[in-house]
Amino acid sequence: MRVEFRVCLGAALFLGIIDLIYWFTSNDDAGTACLLFSFFAYALIGSFLFLQWRRRKGIPRPEDRDDAEMSDGAGEVGFFPAASIWPAGIGIGAVFLAIGLIYGVWYLFIGGVFVIGSLIGFMVEAEAREEGPDDPGFPAVGPTGPDPETRAATPGTSR
Amino acid sequence: MTLIQERPSGPGLYSEEAEPLTQIVPGPRPRGVVKFITSTDHKQIGLNYMVTAFTGFLVSGIMAELMRTQLAGPDNHVLTANAYNQLVTMHGTVMLFVFGGPFAFGLANYILPLQIGAPDMAFPRFNNLSYWLYLGGFLVMMSGFLTNNGAADFGWFSYAPLSEAIHTPGPGVDMWILGIALTGFSGIFTAVNVITTVFTLRAPGMVMFRMPIFVWNSMVTLFLVLLAFPVLTAALALLWCDRHLGTSFYNPVGGGQPMLWLNLFWFFGHPEVYILALPYFGVVTEVFATFSKKPVFGYKGMIAATLSIAGLSMGVWAHHLYTTGAVLLPFFAALSLLIAVPTGIKFFNWIGTMWQGVLTLNTAMLFAIGFLIIFLCGGITGVMLAQPPLDFQLHNTYFLVAHFHYVLLGTTVFGAFASIYYWFPKYTGRLLDERLGKLSFAIMFVATNLTYFPMHDLGLRGMPRRVFTYPANAGWTFLNQLATIGAYLLGIGVLFTVINVFLSFRRGEIAGDNPWDGQTLEWATSSPPPEHNFEILPPIRSERPLWDANHPDQLTEVGH
Repeated sequence: MRVEFRVCLGAALFLGIIDLIYWFTSNDDAGTACLLFSFFAYALIGSFLFLQWRRRKGIPRPEDRDDAEMSDGAGEVGFFPAASIWPAGIGIGAVFLAIGLIYGVWYLFIGGVFVIGSLIGFMVEAEAREEGPDDPGFPAVGPTGPDPETRAATPGTSR
Repeated sequence: MTLIQERPSGPGLYSEEAEPLTQIVPGPRPRGVVKFITSTDHKQIGLNYMVTAFTGFLVSGIMAELMRTQLAGPDNHVLTANAYNQLVTMHGTVMLFVFGGPFAFGLANYILPLQIGAPDMAFPRFNNLSYWLYLGGFLVMMSGFLTNNGAADFGWFSYAPLSEAIHTPGPGVDMWILGIALTGFSGIFTAVNVITTVFTLRAPGMVMFRMPIFVWNSMVTLFLVLLAFPVLTAALALLWCDRHLGTSFYNPVGGGQPMLWLNLFWFFGHPEVYILALPYFGVVTEVFATFSKKPVFGYKGMIAATLSIAGLSMGVWAHHLYTTGAVLLPFFAALSLLIAVPTGIKFFNWIGTMWQGVLTLNTAMLFAIGFLIIFLCGGITGVMLAQPPLDFQLHNTYFLVAHFHYVLLGTTVFGAFASIYYWFPKYTGRLLDERLGKLSFAIMFVATNLTYFPMHDLGLRGMPRRVFTYPANAGWTFLNQLATIGAYLLGIGVLFTVINVFLSFRRGEIAGDNPWDGQTLEWATSSPPPEHNFEILPPIRSERPLWDANHPDQLTEVGH
């Protein structure tokens, strides 16, 4: 975590300094505002990472340690959905929204239906993972995932 | 489902005792078109990105060939002036927003998680969404050609008040605005995704200062995306309001300020140049290191150079605006000249990486060396143009066209082609044909110089950019003809690689998992990699873990 927050806070510091120089030497509000935005963006990310680091009391994660073994990273890595139709739905909706902004309200309506419907699907899918077949009950069958039988026996796990 | 990885301790890659990483991922595995639409696998999405981006490259290349045909002779009328303007605008827009950046995003999608030993990107569905927004943006942008007034025709940086509704009416412009906004959102989402992946999904032992340079450069690029694209989207929203809601942010008639657009646009536009260049710097670094069989020379210096290029690039936008007379010349000239320093460090480090190495001059390496030479020419004219006195003379002439084509062709095209030849075995398990590849490189390298070098001279002779024709007595005919011949040759060179990819995809020589004796983790898995990437990872003790596992007698020195 240390390198990460230092990179972000360093970027914020640099942007802050050139913003100050720019502010005092030029008469350009647009550029000053943009640089200020950049400064805040990196200050935000950097201080979030800094707080995470503080919360861990400086204890490094396995990926922050020079001498970590693969076994140090054992355990849950994260949630990785297998496949999902909803992102494509949102994408199609976004195209309709864009055309709607040019040609009129009806396209906006279609786009809205697509985007909102897909967003709901997206969220329901994310919720369902809490209720789906739980990890302990699910047999581990090697590196390539479950065999076809197991897959067929667990409907509704589409992600 | 939650992915659990049992990461066994003990022996590394090639030991018989090594156990595979056990992974549990239930759910259907779609095939074919359904896989293309719904897949959340970073490898599939990366390939989608790269194929779409390359399609954009070919489309935009055809536009360029048409423009060069128009400019082949004086007083030519192959194209109308209006069609020429549309092609100029869309060529630039598609190359930048559809090819250059997104091809690198595709590479980052495919290669970056493999290089840090991650099972996937941090937000797989979000990743898929950014691909769809990108494709949507491309299609919306291009459909401008289908409208009555044609596509946008004000040049890719669409200066106000020319881009206001009264000067350029018609839906083509709105499609241009919204298409770019969509690709912009896609870029921001990709940035969030990649940065989170790098920060949270590295394999144990893969500390930040052991990540390959390509990972560092992609990450820093996406840091820039995070700053540049929101500003552009805001600027485009204001432009849209000007066109449709009767505001006048940029329109001087209503009390607006055209300089506002210039500043906002180039605040995005200059970092965009580095967004296009930095990932390909990473690509060629990997290629040089692998084919010299050496670690990257000056690894930390390379990272420092990347970070300082990115930092400085945020403060140089107005060197595009010297001639407006409304910007602070010393500030921008100083920062622009400073960028040459870290870029020079990179050059020395690339040469240092090759120095006394065991070089393999195959196609990927040749493209990387071509990158070095062509980008160097572009860099030198860049330093020249960073000086206001010279820029006042050469602004908006063909000298500038030559400069940025040397920079962008050198980085994006040669870098992208190097990446295709280098990583194609990883995508497909097959090698590309070397003879066709070398032929393609030779033609492209000669053709690039033949096309763009005469443009320097054209600029010095005063030919302005974006003119659709020129008189016979201006003395520009011969140089333009050279450039046109070069452009056709360049197209032929690209075609050879396209043919090569199609042939080798099915019939290429079987590559095996690690055809190049690679150094980084993407070569530690099978080709193409299985779902969730790794069954076994070697221990990570330096910035080239696979080399250490394969060559225990030549371990990488730690802490150089």
